[in-house]
Amino acid sequence: MAHSREDKHESAPHSGQAAPEVSRRGFLAQGTAALAGASAVAAALSPLRHLAPGDVPTVEEFFQKHYKEMTDEEKRQVFARIRQAAEKRFGVELDLADPPPMDGVEFVYGLNISRCIGCRRCVHACVEENNQSRAPEIQYIRVLQMEKGSINVETADHHYDPPLVPDADKYYMPVQCHQCAKPPCVKVCPVEATWQEPDGITVIDYDWCIGCRYCEAACPYWARRFNFAEPEIPQEELNPNTAYLSNRPRQKGVMEKCTYCLQRTRVGRMPACVEVCPTGSRKFGNVLDPESEVAYILQHKRVYVLKEDVGTIPRFFYYFDERGSRYREPITADGPGGDA
Amino acid sequence: MRAVDSRLRESLHAYACGAVSWCAPSGLVACMSEQAAPSAIRRSRLSVCAALLICACSLAFNPLPFESPVSRPAAVPAWATDATAVRQPSLAPRYRAGVFTYGCNDCHKILPAGAGDTVRTVIQHREIVLEHGINTWCLSCHHPVNRNAFVDDRGGEIPWNQPQRLCAKCHGPVYRDWQHGSHGRTNGYWDTTRGEQTRRRCIECHDPHRPPFPSMRPAPGPNTLRMGRQHGRDRHEAHHPLRIGGPGGGAGPHGTGLGEE
Repeated sequence: MAHSREDKHESAPHSGQAAPEVSRRGFLAQGTAALAGASAVAAALSPLRHLAPGDVPTVEEFFQKHYKEMTDEEKRQVFARIRQAAEKRFGVELDLADPPPMDGVEFVYGLNISRCIGCRRCVHACVEENNQSRAPEIQYIRVLQMEKGSINVETADHHYDPPLVPDADKYYMPVQCHQCAKPPCVKVCPVEATWQEPDGITVIDYDWCIGCRYCEAACPYWARRFNFAEPEIPQEELNPNTAYLSNRPRQKGVMEKCTYCLQRTRVGRMPACVEVCPTGSRKFGNVLDPESEVAYILQHKRVYVLKEDVGTIPRFFYYFDERGSRYREPITADGPGGDA
Repeated sequence: MRAVDSRLRESLHAYACGAVSWCAPSGLVACMSEQAAPSAIRRSRLSVCAALLICACSLAFNPLPFESPVSRPAAVPAWATDATAVRQPSLAPRYRAGVFTYGCNDCHKILPAGAGDTVRTVIQHREIVLEHGINTWCLSCHHPVNRNAFVDDRGGEIPWNQPQRLCAKCHGPVYRDWQHGSHGRTNGYWDTTRGEQTRRRCIECHDPHRPPFPSMRPAPGPNTLRMGRQHGRDRHEAHHPLRIGGPGGGAGPHGTGLGEE
């Protein structure tokens, strides 16, 4: 071995200085190392082969402005592009609207905990209306099954699955975005991709969101959801009546949340969860209208604010009836309240 | 196990790539300055380089393909989003017996009402089971003479199309709440200047003969933590992803959800 190196050393041209000496061993070792390095780079880059066509933004998408900075003309172009992309992705022609907040309207939600039976129809009506991903599953409403006697979310269970609800020993408390007047999620957003609208709804510009999930961590109501993967929605289940700030199809890596179905409520309709609730426990309306149902509830019913102590001033109120849960045993003549 | 597997594969891939790209240049540097090193060390360096080369090449050909932990969408039954009300009463003084439909007064204008009592003893209408709490007497609600109407507190008539006024006789606070909209189901438009709003009345949700709101099957629960671990699980287990060994034991909803396979 030493012999071959000397041979090379002799044959190598040099000018007095210690020239780089290349032996066969050294050459093999260096070559192997270089090849290993190159292979490592190739291996590290190999996941790029799995990039889907939509994973790399186009120039227009990359330079799209923030929703609030777009002019009407730019909005028109952006909406046209979103419609086109949705048609390509889902094969469905979207009706992409952008309803503005209504003057003199501030939305408030009331939920009667005495009447909710925990049937979860609101959860699925919401998914259907708002085009949430079916796999991985995203739901805005989480129905907590609570122990009677206190309002303690630590002992709540949202995976309950009895054959029939309500369970006489429990009560149910659906939790969704509370549309806070002092929203911590807006405060923490580093890019101002989420903000509060004049009618009280906190919205997200999905094209501006960077997916850092700070808002998810900041929300005390566990109301924000993250698209960990490309949202999957069956073509026939896609709701084509969409709005830019609410239920248009989302992409991987962005946050989303309940918007009180603003594509419906800003044109005067009820949110999907209110429409489907079989018990009528859900109440929605304009709190600035003294004749509205929610104004009556706030003035006359016993109202509970979840985590009032965190100071977010929610626009979502739980309320109770005078007589509590009525799905205990029926009143009989020989029981309490009976004649005998 | 599948989710764990793919997680493991991903991290293995990342670590191996990282190790190779760090080691290869340092191996190179070592080779450049290996003149002084004893041959045993040189040989071991060479074998390390070769091992890394094999490792990196095999990774470049992707022998552990990425397997998405995202499962197929869970099937949601159509009734889970059905907004149909639990009751669709006819809201008319009609009685159906088999294929025949009678007006109530067809019979009751000749049949007398039973004597005032508090216990229901009837030979007709046996299919109506009265479970209305301490209200066990037909004529507490139905008018003793005109069966097409209900009876008010003074023995007068309440028209059949105003059932809420009958219920209000006993259920005052609920009637008040219903009038203001805090009780009962409201559908349609919250903004009545833009569209129609419908408010269901008492017997459109409650069976007057058995008023408690009916129990129903809950729609499927959240599926979010079951990603990639749905195989071989029945529905019941699937809805308790955080519970180890059945619904009895295990962590609460805020416990750790990882690795309980």
